[in-house]
Amino acid sequence: MKAFTNANPKTVAQALTFIADAQKNGKSVAVAGGGSDMLGMMKERLLTPDVLVHLRSIPGLDQVKQEKLGGVTGIAIGGQTTLDALSHHDLVRRQFAVLAEAAGTVATPQIRNVATLAGNVCQRPWCWYYRNGFKCLKNGGNRCFSVDGENEFHAIFGGGPSYIVHPSDTSPALVALDARFTLNGASGRRVVPAAEFFTLPSVNAARENVLKDGEVLESVWIPAPGRAVKSTYHKIMDREAWTHAVVSAAVVLEMENDVCRSARIVLGGVAPIPWRLPDVEKLVAGQRVTPALAAQAGEAAVAGARPLAKNGYKIPLTRAMVTRTLQTLVNA
Amino acid sequence: MRKRRISRRKFLEGTGTALAAVGVVATRPTIAAQRAGAAASGAARTAIRVTVNGVARQVDVDDRWTLAELLRDHLELTGTKIGCDRGECGACTVLLDGKPVYSCSQLAVWVDGRSVETVEGLVKNVQNEKLSAVQQAFVDRDAPQCGFCTSGQLMAAKALLSSNAHPTAEDARAAMTGNLCRCSNYNHYVDAVVAAGGRSAESLALPATGRLPATGRLPATGRASLSGEPSLAIESLAPQRVTALNVVGHATPRIDAVERVTGKAKYTGDIRLPGMLYARVLRSPHPHARIIRIDTSKARALPGVKAIVTHENCKVVWGAGGISGGQQYNDEVKKITKHRRYAFNNPVRFVGDPVAAVAAVDRHTAEDALQLIDVEYEPLAFVLDPEAALKPDAPKIWPEGNLSPNARNELMPISQKRGDIDAGFAQADHVFEDRFTTAFVHNAQMEPRAALAAWQGDKLTIYTPTQGISNCRTDMARDLEIPPEKVDVICHYMGGGFGNKNQNQDADLIATVLAKEAGAPVKLELSRKEDFIGVHGRWPTVQYYKVGVKNDGTLTAIQLRGYSGMGPYRKNSGSIGGIEIYQCPNHDVTVHPVYTNRTVSGNFRGPEFPQGFFGIESMMDEVASKLKLDPVEFIQKNMTRKFRDETPYTNYTLDECIRRGVEAFDWKKKWHPPGAEGGPIKHGCGVSFMAFRSGLGRSSAVIRLDSKGRYAVHVGVTDVGAGAKTTMALIAAEALDVPLSKIDLVWGDTDRCPFSVGESGSRTTIMTGQAVVEAAKDLKKQIAEKGLPKGDEVLIASASPNPQLQGKVRNAFGAHFVEVEVDAQLGGVRVVRYVCVHDCGRIINPLTADSQIKGGATMGIGMALHEDLLYDRRSGVPLTPGFYGARILTHRDAPPIEVIFIESDDGLGPFGAKSMGESSKVPAVAAVANAVFNAIGVRMRDLPITRDKILDALEAPGAAITAGGRS
Repeated sequence: MKAFTNANPKTVAQALTFIADAQKNGKSVAVAGGGSDMLGMMKERLLTPDVLVHLRSIPGLDQVKQEKLGGVTGIAIGGQTTLDALSHHDLVRRQFAVLAEAAGTVATPQIRNVATLAGNVCQRPWCWYYRNGFKCLKNGGNRCFSVDGENEFHAIFGGGPSYIVHPSDTSPALVALDARFTLNGASGRRVVPAAEFFTLPSVNAARENVLKDGEVLESVWIPAPGRAVKSTYHKIMDREAWTHAVVSAAVVLEMENDVCRSARIVLGGVAPIPWRLPDVEKLVAGQRVTPALAAQAGEAAVAGARPLAKNGYKIPLTRAMVTRTLQTLVNA
Repeated sequence: MRKRRISRRKFLEGTGTALAAVGVVATRPTIAAQRAGAAASGAARTAIRVTVNGVARQVDVDDRWTLAELLRDHLELTGTKIGCDRGECGACTVLLDGKPVYSCSQLAVWVDGRSVETVEGLVKNVQNEKLSAVQQAFVDRDAPQCGFCTSGQLMAAKALLSSNAHPTAEDARAAMTGNLCRCSNYNHYVDAVVAAGGRSAESLALPATGRLPATGRLPATGRASLSGEPSLAIESLAPQRVTALNVVGHATPRIDAVERVTGKAKYTGDIRLPGMLYARVLRSPHPHARIIRIDTSKARALPGVKAIVTHENCKVVWGAGGISGGQQYNDEVKKITKHRRYAFNNPVRFVGDPVAAVAAVDRHTAEDALQLIDVEYEPLAFVLDPEAALKPDAPKIWPEGNLSPNARNELMPISQKRGDIDAGFAQADHVFEDRFTTAFVHNAQMEPRAALAAWQGDKLTIYTPTQGISNCRTDMARDLEIPPEKVDVICHYMGGGFGNKNQNQDADLIATVLAKEAGAPVKLELSRKEDFIGVHGRWPTVQYYKVGVKNDGTLTAIQLRGYSGMGPYRKNSGSIGGIEIYQCPNHDVTVHPVYTNRTVSGNFRGPEFPQGFFGIESMMDEVASKLKLDPVEFIQKNMTRKFRDETPYTNYTLDECIRRGVEAFDWKKKWHPPGAEGGPIKHGCGVSFMAFRSGLGRSSAVIRLDSKGRYAVHVGVTDVGAGAKTTMALIAAEALDVPLSKIDLVWGDTDRCPFSVGESGSRTTIMTGQAVVEAAKDLKKQIAEKGLPKGDEVLIASASPNPQLQGKVRNAFGAHFVEVEVDAQLGGVRVVRYVCVHDCGRIINPLTADSQIKGGATMGIGMALHEDLLYDRRSGVPLTPGFYGARILTHRDAPPIEVIFIESDDGLGPFGAKSMGESSKVPAVAAVANAVFNAIGVRMRDLPITRDKILDALEAPGAAITAGGRS
């Protein structure tokens, strides 16, 4: 790693001050949560910050508590909550199973014990061109190497000019749960709906989200579920663990007996952002989810998919996975 | 070669720089380089307080230090290992405030005020060093093989047992998911954790003998594991019962198991010498390029840099790195070798080819120095594919073209012929043709390559993880042009190799040259990425088969035209083996080992066989299917019964292996015609078999007896993980007729140990073991003549046998039976049952033998379903180096493997022992692939059989089977 100075702030304000000071002195800054991925990138010299601000040093940013936002009941999850804590948290497992499950599928116990929710949401892509230091759209270059190269794991929706897939598991869950992100930075706090946090490459290919320089994801708020809500996260991996999703689905269903009143279905592994399926949601709303309807939902899920040369298999995979996840969840 | 739309230079320049991978540098100095000078002298430091294994510490740390570095390099707690330094393997697992974390992925400054537990803290009682229950269980159940992943596994297990005192096998797998084991001893780790939790009611102490009851058969579950899964059975081939021995043949924990479970075993990276420097290597970012200019002046000026070497000041030839077919680069071969591989080559011929190396006071300074080395390259055209490389217009990697010359410098492919191939096809009722491909698969051993070189005057001591200290010494002496007596090679513990730690490696030479240059010991460490691209892995192949067969299934002709991608240096044979296991009067084999600009290919467990067996056994499975025959019937009809159909084997058990496997697996009930199952979840069964060399050969042993009745057995083994030390000790005890406890093994040091063939080619038990037997015979004779030694007297016996076999050939035999479950809609493959039947002659130690067979089979699953090294074709850059990229199997991927040994004793080798180490990897890939075919009815011809390939195959128009639920 290039030499750097580590800062262990004790409050968010202190963290923001460290960031601002470093920027004022012309030093590059990076922010770490659990730090696993950050250190890996620094060892590869993909990132070479002069100052590293370790957010996990701040006490109190890892709380899960009931809280209202704009008069609406919900829970607030501190950005530094570890994925392990999230996946085992009683309230989260009961009310937001999709999030607990998503957190529990990430990597391994060792990583989940330090990895934070904010870090997982803000994770940089795992595209092998980016990670092997190719100067692409993500690190100051002007092209995407996957388009006419090895693109087995790249996007079938929303791609162009970059074709990365968003690597986070918790993000599709948070979009499906209609979460709100509280960002905090030099210009103060702002609240952004999860669905508006992530950025398509057609808008800005260099970034995956709207975080400004020096801004941090401080906490996540999720509205309390309605009655009879079922949710789940289904992740397909190329070995049984320790791998990013090939394709995944976060599904939240509001049931009334055996009728699905409303659905939120968000895919991971298929697009540069968590990929919501509004047409599929409309298809199942107000319906009984029969095997036939689930199959139709699968078809609708892949409508308009634009595969690259080597990732066409993601289409039947996504189709089957949406069908199966719906059926399994409904029957659960 | 086709004109490219943009030149390679434009490609790189236009997009800035191609690579920032560790050790690989941009062609222009970066901002980082300009700051590095300031950083080296003014590196940020922080004082932290941390409790380690219950002891409060105050330490001044460099902000850059990881927790792993703090523990290993500055607190002398080397039990925690670094396997990848990227959070991808788990070897560095410690407990942070009671929770398992990767210490490589946490900074030391982040653990201020916290508490850390390492493997050194596990012993129950530091005074008398009583092991904790989980450590004892690891010892008893043979969980550690090479031991490099063991500390990490222990810490994850400890965390589990603290919160769940009686875990199930599933609990254990879940808790240890983040700990890889490349020796793939997953079953035993799980058994041990469940045992430590005492979950099972019945006592599962190991059977005292592991021997056969009078009936000649162990009960169906054999030595059942505590996880409840059937595990191991040893059966004797009636009518020739293998008679029981006193020590050999009894399940025995490794004589160094305690060192491996307490973090006391010192691997090369754990060793520190006074004044030691750290070295890093700068590697080519180009697949093929001429080095125009190297400017090391800025790097030399960096404070703390003590030596830099490049091709300009280092002309050392690395003989074993690329020497015409893997032959020893001896004086004869030297004279005729055309394609020399140097430690530093110009031109560089693959991404990863070493360009420069730096020795500095610490590894961060050495890394910073790499950034300051300015290299100007002239990129050259390159070729990645072996068939493309043979086309007339392909870029020439060497002046003579890309067909690699053989050991006699002849530009000829490997060729074997038998009978008359055309007549053979003419006699056939059917002729079938097909094409199969296999991928580059990295050895991926847990211990990354390292080397520690120290000169004292003109004597070199090199600590290096090597599978053969004797061969390593010979190679070092030859390459450095010094007498072998001036080289001492030391390796007491090594973390696996599976064939990429044989002979010497360029890391050994580079460390040595730097040490000479700097006048100080130098430890060179390779990163995991460097290990993946800079050492070697199994050669990828393209195999074209043509098979002639009669209506009744009798083979009349087998033709193989094969291509092996060797990388730009021919480190090993490049052969494709397997045809010889089929009886057939007419053979025609032509294999082209071809130069490519990829990572070098070399030996990996079974070198030419797993890929060849996948090819030939897929082909024959296909033939059987087309003739509508049960594959087992086809095999029984056509399997070898004499070596090359003419020379008898010393004994023959292949038919018994198959018969026994069919019975244990319930093949007749489970097998169905390919793809016959409806529905999206499809089950299938596959079979493969093997016959594998078990030849005799030369090795040496020395045994010294003192007046206290201690027998010091000197053997040149290093114990790559297979348990060679324990095996040799058991053989010695048996041959000397004394208890095991009287044996002291002296190993791993060329100054103290005689020649050993090296732990490769599955030869050590046979060859070095036989030397031990003969040395023991000699010692017993001396005792009979002179009496036991008294006072200061010692008796010394030695033997250097080189037995030869005349008129017969010795083979180990085996058969694998696999059941898989394929999800035809999601494309995933799971192995749900795996039965291995092996004749490895007499089993010296059932405990470690079981680990070996299970490990090889599991590795085969990985090769069949996951492992590859993908290249970007435009830049020649490998995209998936490392444990994550190669998708190395985790605990959750490893199914329970059942092992049945058919024991035999042909009167050769030590007590009848045959080869074992490679036996189970050789047929495994084919068995898994054949099972997939049986499940989905579509032949998967290209390894690895990944999800995308299965879905593409099932979606393709004309796919034989619909994946239920689709129209």
